[in-house]
Amino acid sequence: MTDETLGGPPADDDHKPAPDVAPSPVSEHSETTGEALVFESTLKPSSFLGLSLKNGLLNIITLTLYRFWGKTEVRRRVWQGIRLNGDAFEYTGRGMELFIGFLLALLVLGLPFLLVVFGAQFLGPGYALAVVLPLYLFIFWLWGFGVFTAFRYLASRTTWRGIRFRLQGSAMGYGFYYIGAVLLSGITLGWYWPTAERSLAERLWGELRFGDRRVRFSMGKAQKVGVYGPFALGWLLTLLPYLLLFTVVAMIAAMNAPMMSMVETVPVPPPPAPVPPVPEVAVMMISYLIALILAPLVMLVWAPYQAAMMRSIAAGVSIDGASFTLDVKAIPLWWMTVSNLAVMLFTLGFLTPWVQARTARWLIQRLKSTGTAQIDATGQTGTGPKTGEGLADAFGFSLI
Amino acid sequence: MNTRFLDGRSARAHPAEVEIVDGVLIIRADGAEHAWALKGVKVDQHGGEARLSHRGSRDARLVMPLADWKTLSGPHGKAIARRGGRRETALVLSLAAMGLGITAFVFWGVPALSGPLARATPVGFEQRMGENFENQMGVLFQRCEGQEGQYLLEDLGRRIAARADTPFDVRVRAVHAPMINAFALPGGPILVTDDLIREAETPDELSAVIAHEVSHIEKRHVMQAVWRSLGIGLLLDAVVGGGSGAGQQAVILAGQATDLRYGREAESEADQRGQSLLHALGLSSKGMAPFFARLDRSEGVDEAAEFMATHPDSRRRAAAARSRERAGAPALTATEWAAVKAACGTRSDGPIDRLERRFGVGDRPPRPNQGDQMGQD
Repeated sequence: MTDETLGGPPADDDHKPAPDVAPSPVSEHSETTGEALVFESTLKPSSFLGLSLKNGLLNIITLTLYRFWGKTEVRRRVWQGIRLNGDAFEYTGRGMELFIGFLLALLVLGLPFLLVVFGAQFLGPGYALAVVLPLYLFIFWLWGFGVFTAFRYLASRTTWRGIRFRLQGSAMGYGFYYIGAVLLSGITLGWYWPTAERSLAERLWGELRFGDRRVRFSMGKAQKVGVYGPFALGWLLTLLPYLLLFTVVAMIAAMNAPMMSMVETVPVPPPPAPVPPVPEVAVMMISYLIALILAPLVMLVWAPYQAAMMRSIAAGVSIDGASFTLDVKAIPLWWMTVSNLAVMLFTLGFLTPWVQARTARWLIQRLKSTGTAQIDATGQTGTGPKTGEGLADAFGFSLI
Repeated sequence: MNTRFLDGRSARAHPAEVEIVDGVLIIRADGAEHAWALKGVKVDQHGGEARLSHRGSRDARLVMPLADWKTLSGPHGKAIARRGGRRETALVLSLAAMGLGITAFVFWGVPALSGPLARATPVGFEQRMGENFENQMGVLFQRCEGQEGQYLLEDLGRRIAARADTPFDVRVRAVHAPMINAFALPGGPILVTDDLIREAETPDELSAVIAHEVSHIEKRHVMQAVWRSLGIGLLLDAVVGGGSGAGQQAVILAGQATDLRYGREAESEADQRGQSLLHALGLSSKGMAPFFARLDRSEGVDEAAEFMATHPDSRRRAAAARSRERAGAPALTATEWAAVKAACGTRSDGPIDRLERRFGVGDRPPRPNQGDQMGQD
């Protein structure tokens, strides 16, 4: 059976009796019987320190080619440290799959892309713009496409009690929706983004299956967790410094206006150079320093929104009669993110596995479920994609 | 905790009984018997559990307490663990070999290929590329105002280029830029900075610099550098996948070092050819050596450092130039030389410039990123 035949009308999925499974004792109340879902983490981040060191060193001696296998090993160990009703999840992906996916992305996308950009050097400036601009739009589409395919790969390589997850739906469609979401958000100065983010989540989680069991996403339930309040807070607080800066500049200009007209009559020394150049190193150091100071502030301002969005998405997800809550609060989330970034920065990325284990544990500790799901009655279906998340990897992001 | 079999068809766990008979793991669960040859068995150990899978059935799992598995498997268990270890060693070794192969190609293959590639690049392509570069540079460096000086420079460039074997239209011009340098762009443009003109003491020194740049154009060194940087950059970017970890950065830095190393060979070649071009015109080639020597002495001056970065080994090159130099006519008359010197205005270093230089700030323009050889010389 292929994914397509199972895709059919979604409503079919959860009423389909699993043929090879003994019926549960009270079969007429199929929605109410089943298990409550209890998540538990046995992850010990400190046990990832050795793995971090090993991956880092192997990356260096293999010209970073080991990274696909390293990433796979980290995932394998994170997955097995997460338990649902006493049984561990299992990551079944292989490094070779990620490597092949990366090579495919390189061949199919990277090469033509670079040829076009390089070719534009030989064209006139007008042509160059005409070629490069659509290319950048295409990248947005590709980003969405990459997120979806990466999620699809991860789902297909995740099993619990021997049953695989899988993601239906269309990666291309998701890509188009993503362009639309980004453009609309741009036009609305960002105010469409919370809506877009939930819709994007619906398009991922609503397409997820655990074997033949359907994971659902209810926008109604997701919307019960408000996100626009925290968004407004983040938006206004981001705007504030700009407004302040603008006011200060305007005031200085107003105060100095008479002075400036005087200055113009005085012979001014010629400007030292067409571009006031500052050594690159100094510029770099200063901008890094500013980023280092600003980043935690920006994150703090947006943390309430990020936390609300995570709670909202978790609230929208359900499987059978089981729904979920993710108890993420703004300040702990902010601290988690900032401390992770600091560790990554100061260890030059060496401790990435540790950071990932720590984050996964943190999230699982906050994940609760109410209601029950008939997970015992779940049957295996479908197979996953053959190669890994090449696109996602080429863009340098990954869900974990 | 007991032994459970997950058949990979449903999420229901079945209590199981297991034994090992002649290297085969026999699993009895749910009224069925499964035989897994130990050769194809993989074991994951975590949280006090052993989780077994078998090549033959992708989804099925046998989960049992780790202690039980150890008792059951005995020496077999160790053999399975060793197998996993060997597989990983083989993987790391082959990846390291691949890494070495790519390194070798980046360090020797790409530079060796860049020459033939440059010569095979159509002239029209290089010209159009040069125009794009020139437009970009034009934003940074403004053309000097003295029309007569500009005309004389351009004429000198044309005279030298007439002796060179090049299809490109060589156009020399003086620009304002806070550094002592001259650039040959792809396809013929040559930019000489106002500071270099100021630093040159005789027409011979300036004509030597211009002849050197013309040689870069003739030998298509710039195009070669473009191909080289592109090849190295592309290849390394492809390998590291645009990541930003420490390993990735190290790889990219090594690539840049390679690029620089091969740039030096081009410099020496251009020195030699530049002097020959001057000889062919009957001009003196005695300006090259003193110019290099002077820049070499003015260490600590930021501008000279800039020059050194793109023109390494000034001392050695000065010596080489001296051994080849011949007397000849000056490239410009005294009046012409005065006009060229005046082309970029009489601005000597302002107090701000001097202070900036003193403290080593404010004087370096952003390095052109189209391969450092855009500043070829």
